[in-house]
Amino acid sequence: MTGVLLGVENLSVGVHSSGLSYDIVRDISFDLYQNEILAVVGESGCGKSLTALSILSLQSSPPLRVTSGAVMFGGRDLLQLPRTELRKVRGKEISMIFQDPMSALDPMFTVGTILTTAVRAHQQVNKARAEEISLAALADAGIEDPRRRFGEYAFQLSGGISQRVMIALALVNNPKVIIADEPTTALDVTVQAQILERLLMLKKDRGMSIILITHNLGVVASVADRVAVMYSGEIVETGSVADVFRGAQHPYTHGLLRAVPRLGSAAKSLTAIPGRVPQPTEIPAGCVFAPRCERVTNVCHEVRPALLIRGPSAVRCHNPID
Amino acid sequence: MTLFRRARRNKQLVAGTILATMVIVLGIVGPWIFGAYDKQNLLAGHKPLGTPGNFFGTDALGRDLAARATYGIRISLIVAISVTALAVVLGMGIGLVAGYVKGRVDSAISLVVDFVWGFPLILVAVLAAASIGSGLLPVILAVGLVNTVAIARVVRGEVLGLSEKDFVVAAHAGGYSTSHILLRHIIPNVMPVAFVLSSYYVAVAIIAEASLSFVGLGAQPPTPSLGQMVSDGRNFLRLNHWESTIPGILIFAMVLSVSLIGDGLRDLLDPRLRTAVERASAK
Amino acid sequence: MRVVLRRTLTMLLLLLVSSFAVFAAIRLSGGDVTAARLPASASAEDRALFRQQVGLDKPIINQYFTYLGKLATGDLGNSLTNNARLSTLATEKIRNSLILGGSSMVVIFALGIPLGMLAAMRRNSWLDTGITSVSVAGMAIPNFWLALISIYVFSTLLGWLPSAGQGGIRYLILPTLVLSAEGIALTVRMTRSAMLENLGQDFVRTLRAAGVSERRIHFKHVLRSSLMPLISLAGLRVGQIAGYALVVETIFGWAGVGQALVNAVLRRDYPVVQLFSLLLVALVTFGNLMATVGYTLANPRLRKHQ
Repeated sequence: MTGVLLGVENLSVGVHSSGLSYDIVRDISFDLYQNEILAVVGESGCGKSLTALSILSLQSSPPLRVTSGAVMFGGRDLLQLPRTELRKVRGKEISMIFQDPMSALDPMFTVGTILTTAVRAHQQVNKARAEEISLAALADAGIEDPRRRFGEYAFQLSGGISQRVMIALALVNNPKVIIADEPTTALDVTVQAQILERLLMLKKDRGMSIILITHNLGVVASVADRVAVMYSGEIVETGSVADVFRGAQHPYTHGLLRAVPRLGSAAKSLTAIPGRVPQPTEIPAGCVFAPRCERVTNVCHEVRPALLIRGPSAVRCHNPID
Repeated sequence: MTLFRRARRNKQLVAGTILATMVIVLGIVGPWIFGAYDKQNLLAGHKPLGTPGNFFGTDALGRDLAARATYGIRISLIVAISVTALAVVLGMGIGLVAGYVKGRVDSAISLVVDFVWGFPLILVAVLAAASIGSGLLPVILAVGLVNTVAIARVVRGEVLGLSEKDFVVAAHAGGYSTSHILLRHIIPNVMPVAFVLSSYYVAVAIIAEASLSFVGLGAQPPTPSLGQMVSDGRNFLRLNHWESTIPGILIFAMVLSVSLIGDGLRDLLDPRLRTAVERASAK
Repeated sequence: MRVVLRRTLTMLLLLLVSSFAVFAAIRLSGGDVTAARLPASASAEDRALFRQQVGLDKPIINQYFTYLGKLATGDLGNSLTNNARLSTLATEKIRNSLILGGSSMVVIFALGIPLGMLAAMRRNSWLDTGITSVSVAGMAIPNFWLALISIYVFSTLLGWLPSAGQGGIRYLILPTLVLSAEGIALTVRMTRSAMLENLGQDFVRTLRAAGVSERRIHFKHVLRSSLMPLISLAGLRVGQIAGYALVVETIFGWAGVGQALVNAVLRRDYPVVQLFSLLLVALVTFGNLMATVGYTLANPRLRKHQ
């Protein structure tokens, strides 16, 4: 864990079209260090996927748009880059893996063609060399018979294999960062483990940094080094996985961890967090979690808490647990 | 937003309905106002647009164009609507049977349907005219046949899709009778598609009838058909192009309004319908 | 592949059946053939004899197979109008219709696809609205009226192009445009909607994330997926053009199969009606078949028959 590779600063993304105007992601900041796996965890709808997409400006715009903030990478703000420059970053410096590999691969082309297209988008190589690179990437992704998969179409592959193809696609130009948006959610549990295993290997052997978007705390616990917890469009807590899991500072994180049923515990009922996540259009003033918080105080309803930085961790709360 | 309010916001639907209403009113009221369509006045010959007494002028035989044109609207609409109504009823029936009963009945029906479906309407009508003779009858038969088949095809697809749906399987499991399932579950879900499709086919029928009358098959003189009027005026384009232009505009207006209504209905009812209707409209 | 073969066979079967239906209908309905070929003073016995000689007294099915036999050997009969040999007549007309029809098909896709792509890529812009509106209108205009308008404007008023007949590219322009009009409009709409639908798919996002250029995404990837429904469209369009050609050829005096058929029906020239309707029915069936086959071949999912 040395320098900061990618820094998201005060990023806000929202809907701004045809009369509607609200932010889904509000003023979030986090850093990705070299050679680490950073997990961004939160419930469905909290904006974590949108955050991931916005880093490379891949959000569906219109109607979604970045309202403010910056994404610093290599000394430049990615959000301000002209199209041509951004293209050079996508797939080459920063790659992305998506949730549903079956629909994410072009059904009209073979795996091989998709991979070589990606290679030749960034490297000036001939077809044969592009094939070599692609085959190597398929092997790196853990595919056993790369030659065979090369000539197959997406619909001929199983979920696990197609996800590995996605990983190969992400690796093919040697990026520094991989953003993985819920890479295992659509897969069987056994296959999940293999994919995560592969990601871990990429970090260790190739020194890559990975932003891992997930809603599964188990995934976070097994592979991530640091974690950022999102709730309703805001990051409420960041820290090392060890620290956060052992002693969460934000009441939401605490509630999340407590809600996970554990085998062997004597508890007779599941502990849920009361209330529900607010719609992006009805965000309360003050702390966004206040309506559901056990530790709520008066100021929580009025003032949005500032980010409290305590060493390697940070928490956005007026009344954190410690 | 209720269906009605969404309907009002849909520009195509509104435009189409207004246009259609105008044309229909003309068709209903016209012949009353303008008088007989076959009153000849050979000495008068071609009178131009705006002549007092003959609003649109007259044709070569001195017949009042306005009377003929508005009567022609009636003919076009009557043919198109009755043919389509018949085609919808028959087509839905066939489609329902094929899609619900499935199996060999379906295969047999589909065989015939697939064959006839792709046939150009005009060709079928010309062949019908060759067999039966000229007049409105072959037009009605031909247009009716092809439209029936086309509607049957789409309805069959929809019914097949519907029978897989959970609520239909649940109805079967609950022991409801076939007629109940058909009437309460399947037909109401098929109606929107059939509706949109029939608007398309009304347009097709109008053009087919006009095209056939134009070449001489179809409505026979003295019955005025807009297509025939266009053909009659062909030789006098330089002299008085309105003789062809007016019926042409009227045909265009009818078809356009029906198309707009159809498109509007389609957008309104369900984006999902779009694929089924588009595939079918690819004629 | 088996599906394709089975389809072809059923199509051929139905073709046979429908050509027989046409044959029978024409024979059964038709006026008295003898009226055209024998002088009016011929007696009833003479007529009966004539019919026997020509084979008209045998059952319809037999007549049909005799006819097919004759077709196979190249004896197509003669036109009732002027006793011209149908084989020569047919070749000439077919050639003309192919020129017109072929040009139309080319124009439809050469214009339709790029315009549709353009409309999709500049969605909701003035260009898109313009292209789409013209397409909607284009599909509503009856082609015979469009023909008349174009003749009036380009020939009578402006004098740029001839109004009828054949003899060079200049004569081909107007009929081709009129014949293609509806096809172009339909192609534009289908291309546009297919492209828009595909542009919203996940795989486009993957390609963008991989750094592939927008141009390549549109032209290589999205277009490929959008082309599939167009293949079916092309096959069906063949049949539609065959139908419209009847009217267009008549208006422009283009001596093709369509015009010949229409005239033959009006004049009750049965051999001509028979042959040319058979030709057109065969063409339409072929076009429909191509549509299905083409779709199967183009879609890798169907190709690998998974």
